[in-house]
Amino acid sequence: MKKALQLVLFLGIIATISGISVGYVNSITEPIIQDNLLASEITNLEAMYPGAEFTALEVSDDSGYVQGAYEVVGEGYAVKVQTTGYNSSTPIIALVGFDSEGTITGLMAIQQQETDGFGTKCFEDANIDTLYVGKALGETVDLLSGATVTSTAIQNAITAAQTVVAELVG
Amino acid sequence: MWQNFKNGFIKENPVFGLYLGMCSSLAISTSLNNAIGMGACVTLVLIASNVIVSAIRKITPDEIRIPVYIVVIASLVTIVEMVVHAFMPDLYTSLGVFLGLIVVNCIILGRAEAFASKNGVVSSAIDGLGMGLGYTFALLLISVVREFLTTAGLSFVNPFDPTQVIFSFTIEALEPYTISLFSASVGAFLTFACFAALFAVLRERSNKKEAK
Repeated sequence: MKKALQLVLFLGIIATISGISVGYVNSITEPIIQDNLLASEITNLEAMYPGAEFTALEVSDDSGYVQGAYEVVGEGYAVKVQTTGYNSSTPIIALVGFDSEGTITGLMAIQQQETDGFGTKCFEDANIDTLYVGKALGETVDLLSGATVTSTAIQNAITAAQTVVAELVG
Repeated sequence: MWQNFKNGFIKENPVFGLYLGMCSSLAISTSLNNAIGMGACVTLVLIASNVIVSAIRKITPDEIRIPVYIVVIASLVTIVEMVVHAFMPDLYTSLGVFLGLIVVNCIILGRAEAFASKNGVVSSAIDGLGMGLGYTFALLLISVVREFLTTAGLSFVNPFDPTQVIFSFTIEALEPYTISLFSASVGAFLTFACFAALFAVLRERSNKKEAK
């Protein structure tokens, strides 16, 4: 009994020290990672809409998928969504583009580490065109066979984004 | 000590000699950048884990040594992952899940168990450095062949600043003859097999020399 306690105590101490050091490094790197993400968002928005101007919009979302929405002046809207596909440790983060009527004009992944050759198919240009582009508000986007988990995740996220855009379009 | 260090390269090269850590080395050896980045991360984790495991070897109860090693290694990998994510986002994206998978890279647990838990701090650190560089060296060999065959050139950019190209060249005469097969996993296996055979021959020779 005494031996068992000793073992548990030792492992506990090791785990505590590790936890503290990981937490410390995280407190240093977390703001930098966030900054990088924000900076890359501007780059991404500009990649999607070259030369356009953006304004950040305040939106309410109950689904938890929508991370932010931006008005693209003269073009429509861009909604940033986060959803979990096959890779549970790295969620998919993507921008969904809408025109001023709320019809989807494009999708661009900001961060995704889905299975190469399967889940990643959802982010190929040809598939984005057939699956997502041109879907009006109220229409549900299609799934992709061979990448069901990833495309279901994207479907959920886009549905949430459509709800947000529907409010914006009015 | 020098022998320990040198062993990591040819005789006990973790990838070509001990066939350890092959999953990550086959998966990410598509470009020189990935190879150097991954090699550096593994080397860092390996040195740090060897030093820590060796430093606590006398107070670690034998029954729970593996869980203790795993906690130590997992925290080190998480730290390295966060640092890479913060300062080298491009490398983080291209290494993907394999950066986190360093935790289960058998080279690290293997060295902790086989070497660091029985030897002093300094020689464990040197063993970690040797093994880490051996792994990096193996990745470099595979990735140079694969990148050259798939793109007819080689390039290396500064991982801290992707816009700063350190060197980059392509042989235009060879561009129509690139073999895209080598960017797929089949190409990784083919390259790996050729190098493994070469290293086996080298080992055989040095063994014979020693026997004489």
